[in-house]
Amino acid sequence: MSHHAAPTDRPLGAGILGAGPVTQAIHLPALARLRNLLEVRHIMDVDPAVASSVAARVGAASSTSLDQLLGDPGVDIVAICSPHQFHAEQVIAACRAGKKAVLCEKPFAMDAGEAGRISAVSAETGVPIVVGAMHSFDPGWLAAEQHWGDLPARVHTIRSSIVLPPNARFEDFATEIITRPVAGNVDHSDIEVIKGALRGGIMGLAIHDLPLVRRFTPDFSDVEVLHVSHVRPFGYAVSLRTPTRSIELRAVMNSTWKPEWTFEAIADDEALRIDFTPSYVQAGSAVATFSGGSETKTFGPYGHNGYEGEWRELAELARGTRQAPSAQALIDDLTFALDIARATVAAAAAGHAPAAHRAGVSA
Amino acid sequence: MSGQYTVSATQAALKAGAVTQTVASLPATFRTVAEAHAGTADVLVMAGGAGWTADALAAVAGGTRGIVVVNPVPEDTTKLAAAAKNAGTAVVLDLRWASNPALVAGNGQPDARGAVRSAMGSAALLDSVAASMPGTELPELLTAHLAALLAVSGQLGDVRVIRSDATGYTVGGRLPNGAPFTAQGVLTAARPAGVGIHLYTADGGVDVRVPDPDAAWPAEVRVTGAHGQLLLPTLYESAHRSAWRRLKDHLGAGTLPDDLAGFARLADLYSTLAAT
Repeated sequence: MSHHAAPTDRPLGAGILGAGPVTQAIHLPALARLRNLLEVRHIMDVDPAVASSVAARVGAASSTSLDQLLGDPGVDIVAICSPHQFHAEQVIAACRAGKKAVLCEKPFAMDAGEAGRISAVSAETGVPIVVGAMHSFDPGWLAAEQHWGDLPARVHTIRSSIVLPPNARFEDFATEIITRPVAGNVDHSDIEVIKGALRGGIMGLAIHDLPLVRRFTPDFSDVEVLHVSHVRPFGYAVSLRTPTRSIELRAVMNSTWKPEWTFEAIADDEALRIDFTPSYVQAGSAVATFSGGSETKTFGPYGHNGYEGEWRELAELARGTRQAPSAQALIDDLTFALDIARATVAAAAAGHAPAAHRAGVSA
Repeated sequence: MSGQYTVSATQAALKAGAVTQTVASLPATFRTVAEAHAGTADVLVMAGGAGWTADALAAVAGGTRGIVVVNPVPEDTTKLAAAAKNAGTAVVLDLRWASNPALVAGNGQPDARGAVRSAMGSAALLDSVAASMPGTELPELLTAHLAALLAVSGQLGDVRVIRSDATGYTVGGRLPNGAPFTAQGVLTAARPAGVGIHLYTADGGVDVRVPDPDAAWPAEVRVTGAHGQLLLPTLYESAHRSAWRRLKDHLGAGTLPDDLAGFARLADLYSTLAAT
């Protein structure tokens, strides 16, 4: 099945699989800012009441099955915002349905084998796939990329630090949410709980910035986890190393009102710092700052964030005016994240034994 | 106006401690004299390289009234502390970041130590990053880093070196409530040297940024909570001058500082780390 460019005289149609808080508070508000490019035509959710309610807000059709959404001729672009375990099959189905582009929330697969199958189907069908690593599409990041020259080759230290309140704070600034997941009580004495939290921390939170980290880590396939601490109630402190890079990942989700989301890449004589805006709210782009000694050069803020950037890119892909992203890069991003998640959980498990502190785990 | 106390410094101390300009900022109290007059000076200033405790012991035995040690390396201070106490000699340590007045202000003024310690009970993570020029000796950087952390946090447990290489180090451990702390040192000329200490709590935290003492640029201490964010009063005084001002206060009052006791905790922590 071949991919054909869409006509440019009318907005492209978007269909969204999964109508949870991310769809309601992130994608629909972002799409509302792009009405000349895109319009929501179909919302699918396994809960028919949620599907119809969310669809009604944007005048879209609703359904409860993947096939119904893929069979809707008004849908040009499919966004997959379902639970992680469904991503691979849904991406493949969307490609085979002949859609013009697919957006899949991260992670787009649960292992390298799935990623390879997706890549093959994308190549076979000609349907471009975008993974929703929104910071990669943030104009602040893109401006940095245009100006960083050979910095990625000279960096020796990389830091990603994320401090956020519970999602609800920003969801409520973005929309009127229906169906919010219920948070349960967490038993921090249970190592399986800690392992699950750390896995979720890497694959659900750190993964936003791991593609950025990888851009500055040429030997990313040799990553090693040196130390892991679980941070309560939710977060992590993870120290990583490759033969040429030191990488520190920090995250704290607490009840603060003050978000901080930074990425830093540091070389001997130059450093890049990017301050991202929080997800959900339409607070513009990140600000990128290059520093060298006492001199700094700043890019941004620009008027939109990375989520809107994703959709802008999807529209260009669907119209055939932009080249599809490298499938290998998407696979490398995924395997990098999976390797770190696996090693992080293993370190936590090893450290929970009697010599917990010696292994560096403070669960 | 001539100084009340004469000051003699070694060449190494003059440079490391910016002694000339610092003493000049307390002109009614101190006056520098040539190194040749070290034997009769009221205050001796020494760089804190290896063997500094022996040099300080000799100065105490020689009857000096005050000693300033600039950036001392970890050494056993037991004998020195006892000798200084017996002789009534005030020994003040001029530490790169820990002596910044924003960390420990004294006189009941709000400071980083008060902010951090009052928030420590609900700590979730303490994350600290120190930056210094390439070429800085890592033990020197780590000592200054740990001194600043201890000044505000009080206690650090289960401390271990996670990594140490040509570009820096990462140290980890636990706070008194069991929450993790991390301290990363980065060698870079890309940004001004200094240390950042970020305590994250259940509903906010404390953010401390301490510059090098080359100038009187102020440290910044911000406390975040349900009330919003509070910037503590900025103090345009370098760590060097703050150390000398404390010496002035002790000499004037006839009291003895507790710098050596605090430094003993740092030396203990450092020896623990060296063993990991």
